[in-house]
Amino acid sequence: MINNVKAWLEDGIVDVFLGYREMDHHHLPHCFTREHMEEVDDLVISQVRYPLEKIATHMTEMDPDIKIGMLARDCNDRALNVLFLWNQLKAENVSTLTVNCCPSRLKEHGDCSYLTPEKAGVFKKQVGVDNNLEVEELDTYGRKERLNRWMYEFQKCIKCYGCRNICPVCFCKECSLEHDELIKTGPLLPEIPIFHMVRAVHMAGRCIDCGLCEAACPMDIPLRLLYGKVSQIVKDVFDYDTGSSALESPFNILGDKVALEPKPMEPAIAVNE
Amino acid sequence: MTVKRITFLQELLGLLGLEERLHLSWISSAEAQKFVQVVSDFTEKIRSLGPNPLLAFRESKIAVAAELMPLNSKGDDYDQQRQSMA
Amino acid sequence: MECQFVPSVCSYCGTGCGVLFEVINGKIVGTLPMKTHPVNEGKLCLKGWNLHEHINSFMRVKQPLVKTFGRFIKTDWQEAISLTADRFRGIINQYGPDSIGVLVSAKITNEENYLAQKFARAVIGTNNVDHCARL
Repeated sequence: MINNVKAWLEDGIVDVFLGYREMDHHHLPHCFTREHMEEVDDLVISQVRYPLEKIATHMTEMDPDIKIGMLARDCNDRALNVLFLWNQLKAENVSTLTVNCCPSRLKEHGDCSYLTPEKAGVFKKQVGVDNNLEVEELDTYGRKERLNRWMYEFQKCIKCYGCRNICPVCFCKECSLEHDELIKTGPLLPEIPIFHMVRAVHMAGRCIDCGLCEAACPMDIPLRLLYGKVSQIVKDVFDYDTGSSALESPFNILGDKVALEPKPMEPAIAVNE
Repeated sequence: MTVKRITFLQELLGLLGLEERLHLSWISSAEAQKFVQVVSDFTEKIRSLGPNPLLAFRESKIAVAAELMPLNSKGDDYDQQRQSMA
Repeated sequence: MECQFVPSVCSYCGTGCGVLFEVINGKIVGTLPMKTHPVNEGKLCLKGWNLHEHINSFMRVKQPLVKTFGRFIKTDWQEAISLTADRFRGIINQYGPDSIGVLVSAKITNEENYLAQKFARAVIGTNNVDHCARL
């Protein structure tokens, strides 16, 4: 693999290569270039994951024609598909070196085993949402208690914007979460549940279930579950597997191929006096 | 595009148990009768669903989860009512 | 296009979470948490996520400033230090040494903290030393 990278750099297929390197027993992301070829010998594949695609978008912003190579796991591949779709990266400028990885919820052979969240304590299981649940199990909560359980989780939010900053497919310059007139930016406790629901709606058609948001949340809010439910809804209603192809998406304004009818209103239940 | 978003949002609000509180309908300014019909029906429906559950959280920002919690998820008669009507 | 990742420690509170700075072409453009750092394990608070804005802010003070006739005027270090020393001496002579208090911080080293309290006690002659964590 190291030889592959060296060959790519020398032949000019890529200008820079984003991978991981070990420094002082920490695996850190590193940008390997042609000028420092000897560093490529330190390239490692480690269990830690950083949003390399986001760094690629920053670099492309400054220099639109730069050719970037990166170490790509399954989740990275899906993220790159989404970024190609939304015109943040050019497909011909990015080359990926596929790395074996654990599978995930969106792909059958996947199950990112090192993403397992911590075991939930007794109180959290009683009044909140357990991070370890599957998306289907979320329906077992009754109608009335769902709101209470999710509000318990959302109230812990400290509005660090970690979930948005580290998300590889979040790229808006003017984020609605920071817009003063949509969501008040002042008070520390964000307006819940609108903060997380706005984020969830924006993740429709974009979230690829990489799990970086839940890993970055200091309060252990079950974000993977929330956005997993969003992905499931997108699959059920629009029949679209997020991240599987870089060609079209039901949420691209030009791709209006999905024809839907608005749901009819269900009649009112008689009020029990 | 609007229909896609509203359908999606209705399903997502189902996660919080609020899904029936959103409805979309296209009405031209000449269809006054239809407008009256839709608005009256929706008002009745919201009235039957009860007050906004989020109001309870508005006064105190911290949810007193344990006290507001009906802990039995099986005894929810809302779904049974729906099924008997269908 | 020069892109580096520089590991560092957050400069705000006393916890000291590990951060990685994204440096592109010699300028810090982004902050990421360090996943393998034992203190924070990949999580940061709001202040930590915005370190790159703090470093490059136009509001940073780059030179000593002296308030003259109600406006801040740039000066150099020598003049700033002698002016401060003269004013301290004047205040001590007029009001006594206990009129000056010294505040130390969690983000300077232990040795600097020791130096600050020694300065307060031996040079100025006051016991009024306090710490930012108590505020």
